[in-house]
Amino acid sequence: MHKVGLMAAVAAIMVASPALAQEITVWDVNVDEPSNASYYDHAKSAFEAAHPGATLTFLSQPDAEYYTLLGTALASKTGPDVIWANGGAQAKNLVGGLVPLDDKLPDLISKLVGKSAFTAPDGKLYFIPTTLQGHVVYYNKALYKAAGLDPDKPPTTWAEMTKVCDAFKAQGKTACFLMANKEGYEAEFFLSEMANQSLTAQQQVDWLTGKLHWSDAPIKAILQTWVDTAKDGWYQEGGNSQTMFMDEFTLFSQGSAGNVWGLLSNVAHWKVFEKDMGVDKVGVYPMPSPTVAADQHQGAPGVPLDGGVGYGVNKDSPNVDLALDAVKTLASPEVLTYLVNDAGIVPANTLVNTSGIDSPGLKRIMGWLATSAVPTTHANSSAAELDEWHRQSQLLLNGDTTVDAAAAALDKVQAQAKPQK
Amino acid sequence: MEQIGERLGAPCFSKLSDLPMARSSLTETAVASRTRKRSHRSRRAEAIVAVLFLVPALLLVLMFRIIPLFWGFGISLTSATATDPGEFIGAANYLRALDDPNFRSSMVNAGAILLAVPFFVTIPMILAILIDQGVPGRGFFRSVYFFPAVLSSVIIGSIFSIVLGFNGSLNGALKMLGIPGVDWLGRSSTALPVTLIIQSWSTFGMGVLIFLAGLSTVPREMVEAARLEGAKMWQIWWHIIIPELRPIIEFSTVITTIGLLTSMFGLIYVLTGGGPGTSTTVPEYLIWTAQGRLNQPAYAAALSMILFAVTGILAWLQIRMLSRNANL
Repeated sequence: MHKVGLMAAVAAIMVASPALAQEITVWDVNVDEPSNASYYDHAKSAFEAAHPGATLTFLSQPDAEYYTLLGTALASKTGPDVIWANGGAQAKNLVGGLVPLDDKLPDLISKLVGKSAFTAPDGKLYFIPTTLQGHVVYYNKALYKAAGLDPDKPPTTWAEMTKVCDAFKAQGKTACFLMANKEGYEAEFFLSEMANQSLTAQQQVDWLTGKLHWSDAPIKAILQTWVDTAKDGWYQEGGNSQTMFMDEFTLFSQGSAGNVWGLLSNVAHWKVFEKDMGVDKVGVYPMPSPTVAADQHQGAPGVPLDGGVGYGVNKDSPNVDLALDAVKTLASPEVLTYLVNDAGIVPANTLVNTSGIDSPGLKRIMGWLATSAVPTTHANSSAAELDEWHRQSQLLLNGDTTVDAAAAALDKVQAQAKPQK
Repeated sequence: MEQIGERLGAPCFSKLSDLPMARSSLTETAVASRTRKRSHRSRRAEAIVAVLFLVPALLLVLMFRIIPLFWGFGISLTSATATDPGEFIGAANYLRALDDPNFRSSMVNAGAILLAVPFFVTIPMILAILIDQGVPGRGFFRSVYFFPAVLSSVIIGSIFSIVLGFNGSLNGALKMLGIPGVDWLGRSSTALPVTLIIQSWSTFGMGVLIFLAGLSTVPREMVEAARLEGAKMWQIWWHIIIPELRPIIEFSTVITTIGLLTSMFGLIYVLTGGGPGTSTTVPEYLIWTAQGRLNQPAYAAALSMILFAVTGILAWLQIRMLSRNANL
């Protein structure tokens, strides 16, 4: 009888041991970022306190090779339980290996904004966004003053924008905008910045589904503006060999140009520039475009806004439920507060209180987010289109191709990536 | 006698054994037979030892080269993505490659790179001969030439990104001379030649080392005799040293070709990112893009198989051509 009892106890321990030693692994490229440390520490503490015996482990991954490593791991069923990803094309590429979250975390999802960057063509949400990412222009107030411009009146229309760049050109000391297109990222930013006011809401939807083509007039106009602004001398020379992260933004902080297309969260954002340049030395405005769509307003450009980064759950995880809880913890308002305060991200969870942050830049941004948010056009492009846009944008800058030829090449890629029935 | 005995067969041995000479031969035959058996056993033991030594290497080659090669070929015939094994689509990925302007452009770039192979082989050979002929400071040159070979391509790429950037040191020097700066890495016309020059700089030290090793096998007496006979320097190079170096030239040409087609990724990744446009995109860079950025491992596998076939054919042609010349 004793033997039976002993065997039952051993069997119970053996059955229970996996549960006792459950480990949820998270792959994330920002783990080693000092300003994010408190966020990860509090997420780990909160998760492990709520799940005794379970551990939450963050594994830092290299940024440049992240999606290659992740793709290989998912293909060989050795991926992590929880997956970090940037919103847009890369996240959407991964959905085949993830758990759809709409039915799993409905309460949390109802409090989020920026979901479209993580919503697959099947209409399901596969990542919970934690940050919002958007595109605005940061400008150097001292350089504006030196160029004879009013530093408290940034441009709101294309005519005013042109005057600003004409003033910088006339001065001849610094470029109006920095151009960093070695990897083609500046062209991505430019696409969203220009489309924010020149596309109608319906055209943004058509872009997502592939019904609006690169050779259609509104997009071709953006390609033409890319060429024209370069010809008009808006940028410094050597833009095709200038790297963006982080050289371009360091150059801007050092006063190399009057304006830079920047971000809202994580990097190249208000907190970084206010810290490096001084709160009163840097301003922010939404980018106007040459044409204003019928449902947009002259003088009130929008801010391209979508989910920045988010977390999804690997469908092959042995602990899907626990991984879902980990994602819930990472996106909870209590834990995200640390990321807001220390790293200066704009949170995707509307329950996070940002009123305590004393930044004039962020206050202006938060005001636009409430009234002027528009889709981020490049995040709604396929990875293949963006890859080709990188190449064509470089050729356009060098004058090695024409707008028509570039649009035709991009149309071909779009037709393969977003086939129409 | 041994052969006769063998031809005659066993019954004849009894008659032959009556002869003293034949008896002696039989003893020798028996000894030879025992020796042969021992030798056979010894060779067998040697073979077993050799196999034992070879097995780990063979297993590694099989596991990490041969199996992945066939596995990759299998994937190239499917529509697999990172999260979906996909379905069999036959040669569709190969046909897509033929229709892909970026792949065609990368192959044109590969062709242009191959045109540079003679320079990649000749420059180290000339420098090695000069060092071997005893130029002053040869020890210094030997070390300096080899130095870039110990740097990783990423470090070399980073260094030259700074030197060749539009606001970099080279343009700074040119401006001091009143020459306008050039965007060396951002212009389609200069990016590939500049990348090749950097690749040459970073690898020629290894070539010099290989040729120096080859030069140590050139008979000194022959060179001295030619010199005493009044042969000029170029005649000694052309008629003695270079013909003697033919196997080394062959080896260097083959490994340089393979290296240029398959080992420039790190440098290109850091230096130009394959751009501007596709001006520095080589097939291996496109393979990485298809796999790492576009989530198209099946297409990446198809491109890999094409690159493997092209490299294999080129290496085979080079070996065949150079070997034939060596026999002349």
